[in-house]
Amino acid sequence: MAFDPHSLRQDFPILSQQAYDHPLVYLDNAATTQKPLSVLDAIQDYYRSFNANVHRGAHYLSDKATTRFEQARDTVADFINAPEQSHIIWSKGTTEAINMVAYGLEHLLEKGDEILITSLEHHANLVPWQQLAFRTGARLRVLPLTSEGEWEDEYASYFTDRTRIFAATQVSNAIGVHTPLQAMLTQAKQHNAFTLVDGAQAVAHYPIDVQALDCDFYVFSGHKMYGPTGIGVLYGKAHALEVLIPYQTGGEMVQHVTYQSTQFNTLPYRLEAGTPHIEGAIGLAAACKFLTQQDRHALLAWEQSLAHHVYTRLHKESQVAIYSPETHTTLVSLSVPNIHTLDLNAYLDSQGIAVRAGSHCAHPLMAQLGVAGTLRASFACYNTLEEADRFCDVLLEAIDLLTDE
Amino acid sequence: MTDLPLYNSIKQQLRACRSKEETFKALVALSKRLTRLTAEEKTEENRVKGCESAVWLIIDNKDDTSSIKADSDTKLMRGVLVAILSLVQGKTKTERQKMDLKAELESLNLGSYLTQSRANGILAIIEKIKK
Repeated sequence: MAFDPHSLRQDFPILSQQAYDHPLVYLDNAATTQKPLSVLDAIQDYYRSFNANVHRGAHYLSDKATTRFEQARDTVADFINAPEQSHIIWSKGTTEAINMVAYGLEHLLEKGDEILITSLEHHANLVPWQQLAFRTGARLRVLPLTSEGEWEDEYASYFTDRTRIFAATQVSNAIGVHTPLQAMLTQAKQHNAFTLVDGAQAVAHYPIDVQALDCDFYVFSGHKMYGPTGIGVLYGKAHALEVLIPYQTGGEMVQHVTYQSTQFNTLPYRLEAGTPHIEGAIGLAAACKFLTQQDRHALLAWEQSLAHHVYTRLHKESQVAIYSPETHTTLVSLSVPNIHTLDLNAYLDSQGIAVRAGSHCAHPLMAQLGVAGTLRASFACYNTLEEADRFCDVLLEAIDLLTDE
Repeated sequence: MTDLPLYNSIKQQLRACRSKEETFKALVALSKRLTRLTAEEKTEENRVKGCESAVWLIIDNKDDTSSIKADSDTKLMRGVLVAILSLVQGKTKTERQKMDLKAELESLNLGSYLTQSRANGILAIIEKIKK
């Protein structure tokens, strides 16, 4: 544990505050992370110094804004090792990026085709596919991954010649387990399915290389990786992006318009209708830079050590059921039989500790685990060992207070 | 239902809380005074929609007074329900409709236990009690 988060915390002034007269302990990072000063500065600098609409050239500020906006695309492309910046499409976030693909591929689906997802998906990577299946007569199938996330040989039978789309999360938002991504992608590719990876829970922690993953689409949100809300990324391989029908149309995405027809622009603009979220893109690029300037392996090791510390402490408590893996995760998801997670959450909150209680937008997974919801403490690079211990101490206090004699 | 504390003593107790932690503990203590519903009574029909935690409410309207029973899957909401029930228990439907339940509950100093995502739930409970 050589890494010291204390100096890093100076970049996150929001963390130095009291919540109900207790020091704020922010452990809801899987929902959204806090933003470093460099991201806040980048956003403010945009509005203070070069706010203008992009791509319309024409004047000094617009040129400046356009340059920085497109540099942001370059930065994000480098961040996930995309081959070219035109493969980066801005979206509102992970959810919109998945919807762009679900609507964009609709014209290629026929009745009886299969869309395959896993049992560890967030609703964002489930509902758009289910609705696409309803619209096209395709069949939604679910690969029944266990909460350990191990690959089992029998899973291969879920990939068939009718599998047109395979969509899977890299890391479960609810329990923090990694899916057997490479094995699944290999199967999907053998059956010529389009592949989409939901990286929302991965990007803040793991260096991403979309070329090594070799998936058709990779999607993520800015706000879960120290960037602003309202901005996310749809990465796609050229051929995969080319076949997408734009799910929104309007300004900016066109080359020529008559009343009879419209000629769409080239990538990436073809899929970006309307004035983009300019300061979001610039803020996200600043977040990428913030991360690449860190020793990312040290950050990850630190985050994992905090989760492991909590796991080790709470695993000893007979009344606590933990659903996360013991190692290689940055969050701990747990429940206490006969005590509602909302009650636990309320007591933690009263002590200034922010965690998340509930189903984590994963109702089918909660049903698979046999719980109504879990309490999730999720770590980021700025969390300290003291905070991890405080969470454990206060959780045990809450259990005492809420246990019926 | 005879063992419900008096509303005025609940009000006094909750208003005396000086921190979120004290309010939490007071609500947990109050929750123990609730007569729980049976599994058969917790029907979808009796469920109040819009609450983050599950809440069931059964109102038996009679000529003079009405009997109201309620339950929740969270202790905190059970504590809030004890406060609500002690306020409306024994009142007729007409009397309940005349009460400003929302203002009364807001005076209990419950802070974020009433607001945020639980607010809609409380409003839904109030609506149902007035019907």
